[in-house]
Amino acid sequence: MSTALIDFRPFVEWDNNPFILFDPKGKILYLNNSAEILLGYVSKKELFDLSLAYAPQSFGYKTTSISLRYEAFNFYSITVGYENEEQLSIRFYNAPRLRNHTPVEKEKLTLTDINLLLEANIALFKTKNSNPLQLLTDPDMPQLRIDQNRFSKLLRKVFESFRASDSIRIELKLLVGEHVIIDEQKISIAQLSTTANGRYVDNDKEIKILSEECNIRSNLQESSIKLEIPLIT
Amino acid sequence: METFYTESPQVQQIIQGLNLTRTLFVSSIVIGEPHIGKKTLVTHLFPDIPVVSGEHQDEVEAILEHADELIITNFEKLSNKENLVFDNKRIIATADYIGNQKTIDSLFAFIYMMPTYKERPEDLKHLKTHFLEEAAATLMLDASAYTLSQLPTDLTHNSKSLKRAIYHYLMSRNMNKKEIEETLYTYFLEHLEGNNGYKEYVGMYERPLIKAGLDKYGSQLKLSEILGINRNTLRKKIHEHGID
Repeated sequence: MSTALIDFRPFVEWDNNPFILFDPKGKILYLNNSAEILLGYVSKKELFDLSLAYAPQSFGYKTTSISLRYEAFNFYSITVGYENEEQLSIRFYNAPRLRNHTPVEKEKLTLTDINLLLEANIALFKTKNSNPLQLLTDPDMPQLRIDQNRFSKLLRKVFESFRASDSIRIELKLLVGEHVIIDEQKISIAQLSTTANGRYVDNDKEIKILSEECNIRSNLQESSIKLEIPLIT
Repeated sequence: METFYTESPQVQQIIQGLNLTRTLFVSSIVIGEPHIGKKTLVTHLFPDIPVVSGEHQDEVEAILEHADELIITNFEKLSNKENLVFDNKRIIATADYIGNQKTIDSLFAFIYMMPTYKERPEDLKHLKTHFLEEAAATLMLDASAYTLSQLPTDLTHNSKSLKRAIYHYLMSRNMNKKEIEETLYTYFLEHLEGNNGYKEYVGMYERPLIKAGLDKYGSQLKLSEILGINRNTLRKKIHEHGID
């Protein structure tokens, strides 16, 4: 079957792996939906420089195994290629997301005002640290079912990572339009992000374990920790 | 109900934390030196929750079987900490020391470190006033006759040594001659033995006598007149008892 007449653009457009086409000066000629979201986390220049660094020596395509992380995006490989002097393409391959194996046992979870747990953990943090701390929270955040003790332990570990940081900013917000499927139910997600000028990483392993036990997705960066909390009701 | 008073910002943060979680099923522990008010603090904040000491292992286990809230004091004295399950329970514990950090870390969500009185001088004034009033009432004395700066501040064992020092101070200043004699009599009755008793114990009268005399009259010459003894004898005794 001849494929000459098939328009492949929608397949690229809706591919979950980001794809970008640059001109020789680094201007974007085309980007798919996924790449558009990616550019919210990383600059165009950085991605162009990456493309140049991993481009094949002559016309053609080169795939390189490389671990890249831009906030929630996690890639394991990229393909850079060009067929003429005018266009340079880069395609990022999403690393498979680890499936959470912790089953949700609703009957063991307690309906909780998350702001209360947050405030109590901040009070605990303040008994040991005098670092300036800014809290931005959504007072209308709905109550959620959670293992209060385990979640408190997780918050303690997260905040402890910032024990020597300056200008700590804690923000709790609803991720509008983002959902997670738990027990075939569409569940909203709240994001708790803690950011500062830097942080300790000694608690990272425990943070990951506790997050998983609480069915929370954790994103640990050099100077921030983001927790995506399913609003199980 | 126990009362608790603090002006220490650190302790106020602990109170805030405990108050915020009072409706939640979380486990908290307050750790700090003995006699700094840990138990008073938690029983003041949670007057309706049963209190059991970690010394009574069986009782702790029995209550945890069916109850969903418990205060465990002297948590460090429990021997099977690793096997405890605090899921969906409201547990407030106090401990004199951390012990196994890993165990504490995995059992408790909220770990508060309570400062000693040395670290919270703002609370010391209140505590001294409290002990002065208590001691004065017990000993049937007038508390207003004393100022806080007069009182000793012995914090070697935190509030325990402070309380003892204040009682001692008040008692020692309100004994009459007869009571002092009685005290000495009881002491000698218990301790007198050996073959050099006179020399050994005579200093117990002479030392305070000479020391107080010197503080009161300032000069050895004057004191020898007051005591009605020779100046050289007085000097010899000062040297003998190592009085400066």
